[in-house]
Amino acid sequence: MAEAIIDKLRGNIGAENVLEVKYPMARRIFVLVKPETFKLAVSYLVNELNFKHLTTISGVDLGEEFEVIYHLNDDTNELSLKVRTPKSSPRVPTITDIVPGAALYEREIHDMFGIVPEGHPKLTKVMLPDDWPEGVYPLRKEWTIEKIRAKLDGKEEKKKDG
Amino acid sequence: MGEYESESVFEVPIGPQHPALKEPAMFMFKVDGEYVVDVDANVNYNHRGMEKAAESRTYIQNLYLMERVCGICSFTHQLCFSQGVEQLLEVEAPPRAQYIRVIIGELERIHSHLLWLGVAAHEIGFDTLFYYVWRDREIVLDLLETISGNRQNYAMSTIGGVRRDITDEQTHKAFKSLKILEERTKFYQNMIPRERTILKRGVGVGVLKPADAIALCAAGPTLRMTGVKSDVRFNDPYQAYGEIPWNVVTYDTGDVVGQVMVRVGEVLEAVNISRYALQHLPTGPIRRKVPRSVPSNETVSKTEAPRGENIHYGRSNGTDKPDRWKVRAPTLANIPAVSKMLTGGYIADIPIVLAGIDPCFSCTARVAFVDVEKNKRWFWSQEELRRYGIKWYGG
Repeated sequence: MAEAIIDKLRGNIGAENVLEVKYPMARRIFVLVKPETFKLAVSYLVNELNFKHLTTISGVDLGEEFEVIYHLNDDTNELSLKVRTPKSSPRVPTITDIVPGAALYEREIHDMFGIVPEGHPKLTKVMLPDDWPEGVYPLRKEWTIEKIRAKLDGKEEKKKDG
Repeated sequence: MGEYESESVFEVPIGPQHPALKEPAMFMFKVDGEYVVDVDANVNYNHRGMEKAAESRTYIQNLYLMERVCGICSFTHQLCFSQGVEQLLEVEAPPRAQYIRVIIGELERIHSHLLWLGVAAHEIGFDTLFYYVWRDREIVLDLLETISGNRQNYAMSTIGGVRRDITDEQTHKAFKSLKILEERTKFYQNMIPRERTILKRGVGVGVLKPADAIALCAAGPTLRMTGVKSDVRFNDPYQAYGEIPWNVVTYDTGDVVGQVMVRVGEVLEAVNISRYALQHLPTGPIRRKVPRSVPSNETVSKTEAPRGENIHYGRSNGTDKPDRWKVRAPTLANIPAVSKMLTGGYIADIPIVLAGIDPCFSCTARVAFVDVEKNKRWFWSQEELRRYGIKWYGG
């Protein structure tokens, strides 16, 4: 059944755009698609294959690029749709026009990784405090806990002085 | 105000601090007279950096970090984490451990739903029900303490099984406790749809349509009260849930009464599931030995928390620490839905509608009413707002 879903997806967005597929256990599908066809894949899965429920969006730091994972659900299968974006200019198209419930999760990956969901209606902070320093994306690997702490401590000092 | 025609639109910030709840959140309400016309939710006051912290801890240490994601549904996060690591290792817990996990999970659901029912009763000024329900909740907390040694944070699950067995003596006590809980809950289930106070404050209040619930990706009882049959235990049966007969509880009103009835129904189901699991507890070991280091892999682990669908995404890299561990607790999923439920309702209904999703963030330190035109502001505490709600309904 899981294979049939992926076959349909291949047929719709083109087999060459599906880069990697895994079925690690029952009811779990991991699929990596090309960024150009990512939005097409979302709209096909949501509107045609009934993957209407977006559980959340996860980000992963792979070193040179980010992997953004959309955990979609059709009441039975948990399909993790992945797309990669370079760290130098991380961006993904917003899917809030297809799944309104994605709004908070897209803001979350923006907070934690600095990945810009292009076309998001209101991209403000959702997880981090309003006075969090600009450019500190805590879940990027280069931002170690020590580095974040040093940055935040520096800010505290400034407050005391001023 | 600009976008609103009426000059009588006020901005009412609720939050971010309140001693009665655990975590802070802020809701900016735009109100016209008694009506809420717009809501903007802000939950960024209590970021604890748990996902980052998980990357620098071993899997065993993370068991106890994950248990502290939530203060009420602690077990479901620990279970979701241990289950995820087991999936990464491609092993399964022994059958007896899976049944014990189901039992603890369901007992936790009973205590969480009863806690909620008490809070909901308090929010609508029905304190008698609050005292009754919280008295009954002690029964399940005592039972959890007998089994695990703790009323909360049971530290029961570990990678590869559970840490403590359930003895015959404890099973005997559990049957007695479950019987009392069942009787009490049946009494509430019978009483609530006919109770005037609840009907007056609950019928048609904080309504969520099934289509909106699906579009906004709502989860748990908030989704099921609209009539949508969706439950991780049913859709994606984990642990021993596939072997245990039970029913998904739904309700069709999508209002506060629906929230109450779904949760009361789920308490009864949880009693049945726990009883069945105790009666059919398989013999054998309660845990298996697993390696400390986890080979490179990735997984999606899901459980049904009392508040709804709980998901952990984990990625391992061959060491004894995860490369990435993502946690999404169900309250976040229900924030867009509760914003929708509040819009169009009365100010007096804010406390019960907010409480309706059983939020795991704090709510109201104070309510500031700001008249932007006249530059006047005044403050109400949560207690004053609650009283206002009760008085407004002629209580």
